[in-house]
Amino acid sequence: MPGTVTVRIPTALRPQAGDQGSVAVAGASVKEALGSLTSQYPELGRRLFQSNGTDLNRFINVYVNDEDIRFLNNLDTPLNPGDELSIIPAIAGG
Amino acid sequence: MNHDLARYHRQMLLPGFGEHGQRQLLQSKVFVLGCGALGTVIANMLARAGVGHLVIADRDFIEVTNLQRQVLFDEDDVRDAIPKAEAARRKIARINSQVRVTALVDDVNHTNIEKFAADCNVIVDGVDNFETRFLANDVAVKLGIPYVYGGAVGTVGMTYAILPHTPRGDSPWERAGVATPCLRCIFEQAPPPGMNPTCETAGVLGPVVSIIANYQVNETLKILTGNWQAVSPTMLSVDTWHNTVRQLKVLRAYDVGQCTCCKQRKFEYLAGLLASATATLCGRNAVQLTQRASTCTHLDFDRLAERLRSHGKVTTNKFMLRADIQDNGQAYELTLFADGRAIVKGTKEPNTAKSIYAKYVGA
Repeated sequence: MPGTVTVRIPTALRPQAGDQGSVAVAGASVKEALGSLTSQYPELGRRLFQSNGTDLNRFINVYVNDEDIRFLNNLDTPLNPGDELSIIPAIAGG
Repeated sequence: MNHDLARYHRQMLLPGFGEHGQRQLLQSKVFVLGCGALGTVIANMLARAGVGHLVIADRDFIEVTNLQRQVLFDEDDVRDAIPKAEAARRKIARINSQVRVTALVDDVNHTNIEKFAADCNVIVDGVDNFETRFLANDVAVKLGIPYVYGGAVGTVGMTYAILPHTPRGDSPWERAGVATPCLRCIFEQAPPPGMNPTCETAGVLGPVVSIIANYQVNETLKILTGNWQAVSPTMLSVDTWHNTVRQLKVLRAYDVGQCTCCKQRKFEYLAGLLASATATLCGRNAVQLTQRASTCTHLDFDRLAERLRSHGKVTTNKFMLRADIQDNGQAYELTLFADGRAIVKGTKEPNTAKSIYAKYVGA
């Protein structure tokens, strides 16, 4: 049984995540954690992932404990219980 | 003390500043790109700090709904219909007459940005769309000019100082060993139109804008005074309402990534390859906008409709969304197609149409 990690949901995507700022999910890798998250919230999955359903959209970054997963092991980055996953979209306003 | 430096006394007392730092500021030229919520705070603080020459560019006019957060403007500016860049110039002349301000009431795009930015020491970002940001990033990398990104909407904001890698590797910040990845190393693609909330649709909290803009100024002052080691190597991400502050680590993005812009030195936005296009529609008092950089195959009409309803009537069908929008006392009809193409009715001015699109659809 994989450990529990916290996924931080950005304000813009909270309506697709039951209006929650963070969601606790089980997962031993980023892929498992996001899979668990998006199976609960399929609409969120459609915003995070490209239409092939496997690659993240390129305007959305995911950080594990403030490190970008693209420079760790991408979706295969392993997670430890208590890790924090942050979904960070580019902010356009100003 | 030299008389014209007396007003900067409290700043010159700071470590890393002194009279030398102050003189560096007075001899500097900064490009403030966009003069809205971020831009007014940036221009205000840079002028007070004594940056010698500010080039302030904005295509827009001041609206009453701007006054909640755009600190250089007042009710007289709204009544007199003064363009933002010009109103900023006039206000700064009263704040610090030692500062020269060039006001550009213009749409900054791939045909003119290089000319505006060419001899600036820093480009500071106060724009409201990603296309212009990636354009600024292109020009910063191409010309080897530091670029300070900032963005804010709702209660969240983000900022990050880019000290670009150059082909010869001999810029002062590279010699100090503190070059940073460019914006496209971090965000490979602009969010598609309608993806993100805008200040017009989601609202914006005055303090979050001020915090981000002041942080941008903070980094700009370090850059202009050559305090390279002090420049933050992380991307700051805050939500001031929900009390989160994060310093995201981004340095590896250059080492590991294959950035189109700063590694391959392909300047797609500057070349106009990814620029949106406008066309005034003959005899219709309308402008069409085409999004070439769009990555989206189908806009989410329901979500956009929900956001736009507070501004007027919205109707949607499978093919398009149509919204009545009141902006600065003018009535517009925005028709949006699934691929991001739009027709803005109520103006013949491409800049006005682009502004309406950026504000209400977002790109």
